[in-house]
Amino acid sequence: MNRRDALQRAALVLGYAVTGPALTGVLQGCKATPELPFKPVFFSEDQARLIAALSEIIIPKTNTPGAIEAGVPGFIDIMLKEIYTKEDQDKFLNGLDEFDADARETYGDSFSSCTTEQQKAFVKKHHDAVFSGKVEGASTGWWNAGGGGEKPFMLKVKELTILGFFTSEPGATQVLQYNPVPGPFKGCVPLADVGKTWAT
Amino acid sequence: MNLNIDAEKQNTFDAIVVGTGISGGWAAKELTEKGLKTLVLERGRDVKHQVDYPTMMKDPWELPHAGQLSPEELKLYPVQSRTYWVNQGNKHWWVNDLENPYTEVKPFDWIRGYHVGGRSITWGKQTYRLSPMDFEANAKEGIAVDWPIRYQDLAPWYDYVESYIGVSGQAEGLPQVPDGKFLPPMELNCVEEVFRDKVAEKFGRKITIGRVAHLTASLPHDPSRGICQSRNLCDRGCPYGAYFSSNASTLPAAQRTGNMTLRPHSIVHSIIYDEKKGKAVGVRVLDAETKQETEFFANIIFLNASTLGSTFILLNSTSSRFPNGLGNASDQLGRNLMDHQYRTGAEAEVEGFDDKYYIGRRPNGIYIPRFRNIGNDKRTDYIRGYGYQGSGSRESWTRGVAEMSFGEELKNSLTIPGKWKIGITGFGECLPYAENRVTLNKDRKDVYGLPTLSIDAEWKENEKAMRKDMRVTAAEMLEASGFKNVNMYDAPNNIGLGIHEMGTARMGKDPKTSVLNKWNQVHEAPNVFVTDGAAMTSSACQNPSLTYMALTARAADYAVREMKKGNL
Repeated sequence: MNRRDALQRAALVLGYAVTGPALTGVLQGCKATPELPFKPVFFSEDQARLIAALSEIIIPKTNTPGAIEAGVPGFIDIMLKEIYTKEDQDKFLNGLDEFDADARETYGDSFSSCTTEQQKAFVKKHHDAVFSGKVEGASTGWWNAGGGGEKPFMLKVKELTILGFFTSEPGATQVLQYNPVPGPFKGCVPLADVGKTWAT
Repeated sequence: MNLNIDAEKQNTFDAIVVGTGISGGWAAKELTEKGLKTLVLERGRDVKHQVDYPTMMKDPWELPHAGQLSPEELKLYPVQSRTYWVNQGNKHWWVNDLENPYTEVKPFDWIRGYHVGGRSITWGKQTYRLSPMDFEANAKEGIAVDWPIRYQDLAPWYDYVESYIGVSGQAEGLPQVPDGKFLPPMELNCVEEVFRDKVAEKFGRKITIGRVAHLTASLPHDPSRGICQSRNLCDRGCPYGAYFSSNASTLPAAQRTGNMTLRPHSIVHSIIYDEKKGKAVGVRVLDAETKQETEFFANIIFLNASTLGSTFILLNSTSSRFPNGLGNASDQLGRNLMDHQYRTGAEAEVEGFDDKYYIGRRPNGIYIPRFRNIGNDKRTDYIRGYGYQGSGSRESWTRGVAEMSFGEELKNSLTIPGKWKIGITGFGECLPYAENRVTLNKDRKDVYGLPTLSIDAEWKENEKAMRKDMRVTAAEMLEASGFKNVNMYDAPNNIGLGIHEMGTARMGKDPKTSVLNKWNQVHEAPNVFVTDGAAMTSSACQNPSLTYMALTARAADYAVREMKKGNL
């Protein structure tokens, strides 16, 4: 294991937000091959790296866990394998390929090998495009799921990331709040008495 | 010969109850408590309270796929999944549609579960009395046939059932939904209070908290049941027994008497009618596991197999005396199938109250009792009416996908609850139509080789006209309350999806035009009682389970009195 790999591993354990800037300096762009935070059952290793990196950009580690620490990449992998139909799997992978091809064109390397700052900028470009109606299948401004068109890849990953994250134990209990047994319902209380969004 | 006599003796009881759902549990409890040795037959597997609720304590991260079913799993539920409710937490409470086919001459969603407790495990728990107006409407308007009973006949039994099961609600003094024996009401949230006050001010209509079979106070007569903990995971089975189900309440009560023999995996496919004695003497049971056929005998038979289940058994009980099904001289058996229409209404955003929230997941909502065609309100486009059910809440993390942000900004924004929203959906009465019917289909067999049902029913003009009003008026009330972005919706709603199917063995005064009399006895076989939804002469617009329970307790009381007099 070379120094870069060691740093990258540390980054995955500790999370991008903590070590991101350090990595950016050391790596100087898009040449790292990050280690996988999970063993994929559906994705190839390269695809899994991309999904892991992308989910962590969507919900990063802050003072609370991010997508990778919450197991979101593995969740997405299993959802693709067991919940998606063959047709939807193919569409998802096509979207993933196009996304990464654009990253290679833009930065000369796979999305997962880019710096965190580059990944953020790249996600912003794709995310903004969805919300400004510049992606085929998206309605203007906001994706209308009832509209019958195909959801853009960016939104599919965002949706899966949010679903996996907030139904995970870290997402539900550390980022939001979770009370499995609330007791008698109180209908109208100050938000300050509760604090954060209920996870369920 | 002696062997046969012994077997017959072993298989003979004072009473037989077919089905363990919301009405079967009540029949079991009442008959056993009155001292009758009672055989309770259930076509599905046993489900013991708490013990057999496999997902009741699971946290969200303990369910696979965030609760979603795989395409392979969904293939088992092509009909049941039309509800969009089948998930990893409750999938064991729905029938396997592939093993339980029926024929939809027109689309009909037959949503059900075959296991001890039936749909009493998954029901919505909304608990309303029918009103004097509801029992009189058919006669006043010349629709179908008159109910053979009036509200006053059932009122003491409503009292009796409510007191036993525990119903949380607010007394409002409204004649169209009479008050009952209530435990303390659940609270409204901040925006629901606004809606209640505005609708009262602008329309003179009442909004009340839903009346629900959840305990908000302990029941001295049943200390095994606990108070609702606002988990809102009811459809997995409640570890506290806080909502009423057969499993948590009536079946344990029947068990305690020592008079109940509960036999799961027992598919009753017909009633044995003894032509010499001129009465029903028992039932034929196909064991779902061994495929063995056994006959059981009793003086009294209660059919509580669900509206369509009980109707199937009667239709399939043919003899030279009853070539078209037991008690079907009127040709009304299988006809007059009704349901409640819903999934249409409106929703809106509520401004303000950013600093307010709630604690707990209330398994209940608001209720707007019927106001149409009451007093001075007279519609020209339809008769009868509807109530609304709904709720307000703040948007949760699920809004995140539509947020313009991602990354830390998105993560932070989702830790604060989103906008308040409020929505209501109508629950509309359905009239009885003779041509909305089920028939026995001998050409299509189920996995046991038994005939199946063909269902031929649809909403008609009265329901369609009412449906339009249901969403328009919902929007009108939300607008008038000052809420923003009011949005009407009208989701697909096949008949059946209300899961309030009823009416296919209706009660009536005249054996020529009805199947059951005023005590729920089959006119032509008086020791056979049908006290589930099949008995309903009209549907009203209230959730019907309470009425099934009250009819059952009343009929069981009558049956035992008559039996003791030697009349049955």
